[in-house]
Amino acid sequence: MNETENDKRFVRKAKSLFDDSVEHLDAATLSRLTRSRHRALEELERAGHRWPRAFWIPATGIAAAMLVALLVLRVPLDTSPPIDQPLARDFDMLLEEDSLEMFEELEFYSWLELADAQPDDHVG
Amino acid sequence: MSAVAGTFAVSCTREPATGAVALQRERQLNRFLADVERRALRIAEISVRDRDEALDLVQEAMIKLVRRYAARPEPEWAPLFYRILQNGIRDWHRRQSVRNRIMVWFGKSASDADGYDVAAHAPDPAGRSPDEELQTAEAMRKLEIAVGGLPTRQREAFMLRTFEGLDVAGTALAMGCSQGTVKTHYSRAVHSLREQLGDHWQ
Repeated sequence: MNETENDKRFVRKAKSLFDDSVEHLDAATLSRLTRSRHRALEELERAGHRWPRAFWIPATGIAAAMLVALLVLRVPLDTSPPIDQPLARDFDMLLEEDSLEMFEELEFYSWLELADAQPDDHVG
Repeated sequence: MSAVAGTFAVSCTREPATGAVALQRERQLNRFLADVERRALRIAEISVRDRDEALDLVQEAMIKLVRRYAARPEPEWAPLFYRILQNGIRDWHRRQSVRNRIMVWFGKSASDADGYDVAAHAPDPAGRSPDEELQTAEAMRKLEIAVGGLPTRQREAFMLRTFEGLDVAGTALAMGCSQGTVKTHYSRAVHSLREQLGDHWQ
């Protein structure tokens, strides 16, 4: 693997030819390279306005943990809506087989309810 | 370059980029990129055989270097920059390969790069006789063709060591391989090129 004298001479010539081609790049190409360089250096300024990535990772984690804690503390464990017991009872009654019979005597039941609501001394 | 070979091991040190430090860093980067851009362009151009594509690849490498590695110590920039550039060149070849397969499927010409005229992009050395100019241009044209025809890793090792002047450690970092692998690829590249070009080329 050792480089012989011929290898070294060959490499020197290759390097010389390459350097020559670099030195004689045309003006339009050099101009484009300069623009590319300036475009790249603009990234430095942009990077200065950005939050470093090292900030975002712990910040996001902390925010997520706080959100979870807030939800656990604020929302009660039993999240099912309260059942309106009388309404549920009425609904069961409507589903019963003899419910149609009740509708036929609706007037009677209304009178009965009114009578129950009034004090005893008014009855009779 | 060899003096800083030891520093090529991955460094995690970051400096605060504020005020005067940021300004100094920008000047250092500008100087580094100005120094490296023309050689990088020619290296990319020999690899992809298209100057416009090479310019795009160099710009992309510059932007990525500044965006990701501006805070790294200056001696690491050259190998990192060439690592980005070589990755870009490899990606470019992969895309070309896919594109060529699709073009063949549709029955069109396989590659526009086949029409690349190396002589048209050959150097135009000033202050020489026409014969000397012609000889230099012809020698460079042959060298470009021979280097462009090397296997990818041999081409990378040869160009980074010979054209860019990176040492073995820097080339290894740029290529993402061991120093022993660099030496092997470089040696094979030199022998292959000497065989192809012949002694009369020198």
